[in-house]
Amino acid sequence: MTATDVSSGAAQRRSGHYLYAASVALLCAWVLVPLYFLLINTLSSPDTVNSFPKPFIPEFDWGSLEFFAGYEGMLKALKNSVVVAVLTMIMSIAVGAPAGYALSRFEFRGKGLFRMLVLLTRAFPLPLLALPLAVMFIRTGLDDTAIGLALVHTTLAIPFAVLITFSLFSGIPIELEEAAWTLGCTRFTAFTKVVLPLILPGIAASAIFAFVISWNEVFAAAVLTIENRTLTAFLLAKLGEAPLHLKFAGGFILVVPALVFIFAVRKYLFAMWGIANR
Amino acid sequence: MTLRSKFSGMASGLAILCAAAAAQAETLFWSTQARPVEEAQAMREQVLAGYGSAVDYQPNEDGPWLTRLQAELQAGKGTIEVLGALHGNFAAMNPDDLVDLGDLGVAAESATFNSLAMLGTDQMQYLPWMQASYIMAANKEALQYLPEGADINALTYDQLIAWTAAVEEGTGQKKFGFPAGEKGLKHRFFQGYLYPSYTDGVVRTFASDAAVEAWEKFRELWSHTNPASTNFSFLQEQLLSGDAWIVFDHTSRLAQAFNERPDDFVAFPAPAGPTGRGFMPVLAGLAIPKTAPDMEASKALVQYMMQPETQIATLKATNFFPVVPVDLPDDLPPAVKASGDAIAKMSGAADANPGLLPAGLGDMGGDFNRVFVDTFERIILGGQDIRAVLDDQKSTLAGIMEKTGAPCWAPDAPSEGACPVE
Repeated sequence: MTATDVSSGAAQRRSGHYLYAASVALLCAWVLVPLYFLLINTLSSPDTVNSFPKPFIPEFDWGSLEFFAGYEGMLKALKNSVVVAVLTMIMSIAVGAPAGYALSRFEFRGKGLFRMLVLLTRAFPLPLLALPLAVMFIRTGLDDTAIGLALVHTTLAIPFAVLITFSLFSGIPIELEEAAWTLGCTRFTAFTKVVLPLILPGIAASAIFAFVISWNEVFAAAVLTIENRTLTAFLLAKLGEAPLHLKFAGGFILVVPALVFIFAVRKYLFAMWGIANR
Repeated sequence: MTLRSKFSGMASGLAILCAAAAAQAETLFWSTQARPVEEAQAMREQVLAGYGSAVDYQPNEDGPWLTRLQAELQAGKGTIEVLGALHGNFAAMNPDDLVDLGDLGVAAESATFNSLAMLGTDQMQYLPWMQASYIMAANKEALQYLPEGADINALTYDQLIAWTAAVEEGTGQKKFGFPAGEKGLKHRFFQGYLYPSYTDGVVRTFASDAAVEAWEKFRELWSHTNPASTNFSFLQEQLLSGDAWIVFDHTSRLAQAFNERPDDFVAFPAPAGPTGRGFMPVLAGLAIPKTAPDMEASKALVQYMMQPETQIATLKATNFFPVVPVDLPDDLPPAVKASGDAIAKMSGAADANPGLLPAGLGDMGGDFNRVFVDTFERIILGGQDIRAVLDDQKSTLAGIMEKTGAPCWAPDAPSEGACPVE
């Protein structure tokens, strides 16, 4: 090997490093810059929000946030959002994970069709379904309750819960379970002692997915709840036509709880992507 | 924790929840108006706080508003006590679903509004609640480019075009702002302003030679319009940011600009064309759905909303003007003063040619607006031939009129039966 070969190899490696660093920086900026601008504009006075160019350092004008602090019903809506999202999380896993297990472990007639059909709940736009749903809810008394809305959100989240858990279960060799059976486990204990610990991070990840879906859903929440509005339904409808500085502040308020939640459970998300324990 | 303490904890939790549910006996006011957070807050704190008992004011977008209402009507059991919406929202509803409000002893000052509120039936489907209009506004920096001899309070379309052209020449930027965005109210400009000013009609004259001239003029105006206008829906934002200096929009969509920097902007009447100064009111109404749980409470709230003091408070909160006779106080917000002046000049002008809101279209109101939006997009954005587009859209419009059987409204000459497209 000659000297030039070595140096060109090193140069290549170095440029590879630069490319890698640049891509990482770009991806980070992709996410962080809009969030940063959201923060700056939230903490700016209305005049600054409307001016151009925007400053890079927030001026810590709390006016816009104070407006929302005094806005009636915010805290209650936040609580409702959390309640509905947690219920959605629990229900979609309770229903979705067994379905995912069945899809990955058992052969049954109509399996392919079932996998298609489970996606169909996302095929119909909610505004179309909302009317008959609302009529039914009013008649049955589910109307304007957290559990009623959580049921709707669960329907939306189930396809993801089923498909994510299906692929997770498929990733765990059946031989592990078979080995457990030979060592005296029943089908159920083999599941709880062997499969479940392996799959728990993945289940948590699909639960987070359900949480986010519920958190972001507006239309059903706006139609199916009156007193018990979720934060998105409560705020989003009114932000579309609000002045710019309040749009930013409202957006900030909607984003922060979800960010905090994702940050708190990030370990499980990484687990789903195969990056262990960071 | 023992099982018993768990159960008692759960029971007490449930009891608290039930108590909280029982405590809420507020009157639900389900509205499509005063949606922006600040307006909704003002409605609660300044308008409804004065009402004896608690009111839950819930503004919504049209979609959820109507869906929820329809659901309650179909279920035959409701929570909504009072509805607040635009004339067009009520026009799209089934008349049987709304309670007759003729016996409340309150009504609008204007006989035209009261007859509009009957929606073609013989009873008051809704009560006129508040009104607004569309006006022009300009940054004061644009005034230096005003063509010589032009009076800003009596502009013609030609002068407006010359003015916007002069601004473009002077600043190098297209500074006319038009609400052509997705949520912009562009169709109202064509229905209530451009067509009446050039053709003295809307439906009858849709494809007339005068209409071709009107669209030619608008195309000329568009050539001096900020091309980003297709993203503009609330021109107050562009006035404040300086992206537009001369704009046309709904009074409440300009209010923020006047309230934040009252000294920087002027409001003035819409321009005039060969057949007068066309302009159009915006009318919002109050109604009670037949499923309202407590009819007495609903009627009491509607009556309260029609009191002169409430109407003035509503004006301050939403920039919508009263429909009953009131003495306006002096401490009005700058936006109210500015737009009130402009509207007074517009309706008091010698060449005023007021149009009415489309009436009798029922749930085809949206399709009617679509005709104008499509025409705009094809002629102005698509650059298609005006005559060809009008002849093409004409059949769609005629179809809507025939299907609904809606008679002509001002400024179109009255018709027997469905309004013809000539």
